[in-house]
Amino acid sequence: MGQGMGLDRDAIRPDWAVLIVAVSARGDRAAFAELFAFFAPRIKSFMLRSGESEVQAEELAQEAMLMVWRKAALFDPAGASASAWIFTIARNLRIDAKRRTRRESALVAGDVDDEFHIDEAPLPDARLAETQTEANVRNALAQLPPDQLRVVEMSFFQDRPHAEIADALKIPLGTVKSRLRLAMRRLRSLLGEET
Amino acid sequence: MSIAHHPSEALLAAYGAGRLDAGEHIAIATHLLACAQCRAFVRAVEQAGGSVLAELTPVPLSADALASVEARLQQAPERFSPAKAPPHQKMAGLPRFVQTYPFDEWRSVAPALQARTIRLPHASLARVFLLKAGPGTRLLEHTHSGVEMTCVLEGGFSHKDGHFGPGDFDFGDSSVDHRPLIDDGVDCVCLVAMRGRLDINGILGRLIQPFVRL
Ligand SMILES: [Zn+2]
Repeated sequence: MGQGMGLDRDAIRPDWAVLIVAVSARGDRAAFAELFAFFAPRIKSFMLRSGESEVQAEELAQEAMLMVWRKAALFDPAGASASAWIFTIARNLRIDAKRRTRRESALVAGDVDDEFHIDEAPLPDARLAETQTEANVRNALAQLPPDQLRVVEMSFFQDRPHAEIADALKIPLGTVKSRLRLAMRRLRSLLGEET
Repeated sequence: MSIAHHPSEALLAAYGAGRLDAGEHIAIATHLLACAQCRAFVRAVEQAGGSVLAELTPVPLSADALASVEARLQQAPERFSPAKAPPHQKMAGLPRFVQTYPFDEWRSVAPALQARTIRLPHASLARVFLLKAGPGTRLLEHTHSGVEMTCVLEGGFSHKDGHFGPGDFDFGDSSVDHRPLIDDGVDCVCLVAMRGRLDINGILGRLIQPFVRL
């Protein structure tokens, strides 16, 4: 089908932000199913790579998609990208799940959300910088050398990033630390910030 | 007023990835409240998280997963009301969620030095407390067996890395030998998240020992 247009269909993804807005505006179930088909298996993959069991990863992926439905009205299309917004939902659920398995408290996921909420009063230029972030970050990530990108990516899945990444990539710990530091510095400078 | 001392990129990345200890999370969140620049970097880390998520190899869910989630979508997406009234401010400069935690009373831990423990609702490797030091106080020379994160709330201090004022973030570990001097004129109040023990060199060390076990 896609070939007729001279386009690689695989490369075209729906505009996730539009689908989230459709869920928010009119409880659009078809839009939700489309979001589910793409994100649920990736959230499950994220949870498995984060060390969750198969059962837990499945449950958290379903729970995260339920949150996408419930919180759709909080999604700001002018702010973070859809995938970043869904990432934060999955991240917060994982933190909450870890606390619950340790039976440390009866907190619910909403508390974790509060812990990431900053009452911001940014200056006008800072606000601008924050909304420009998505495109800039894509560019910045694309400009990182592959070995640095690899350690950045892996740092999302490990609680003790340095040692475990060194193990997985079979490179010395010092190399991991310097690659991560270089990558993060580079990211920060590519985003036009002072270092 | 500008902020001169920021958390490392690695710490901000760990915060954005949701990998920080609960107590250390509070120290970073306190800095973020004051620092738009680091907030932008954390947003960037979250964007990177989104890109990583979107590029992961999908792992199929059970065949009935969508149906079972749909069965739970009985009500329409929630309409969120504006945030609840802010809780009573216990200390300016702290994030709202921290203000909701129970704070112990101030207690004296050494001459011109008071501490106030913040009780966290879940386990944390780091203890979190407010530390108030009188004007002109020279704090003890100390090193750390663990890590210590400090965010200035009021007043300021100096040590060999420079001057630290409101919003500034200071990181200490076993490689750092601090001997901060509190600014003249006003009390200095900091939020501190501390792991491990503080090793204090000097006579006042014994006086301060009960405090480091708090
Ligand atoms: Zn900062």
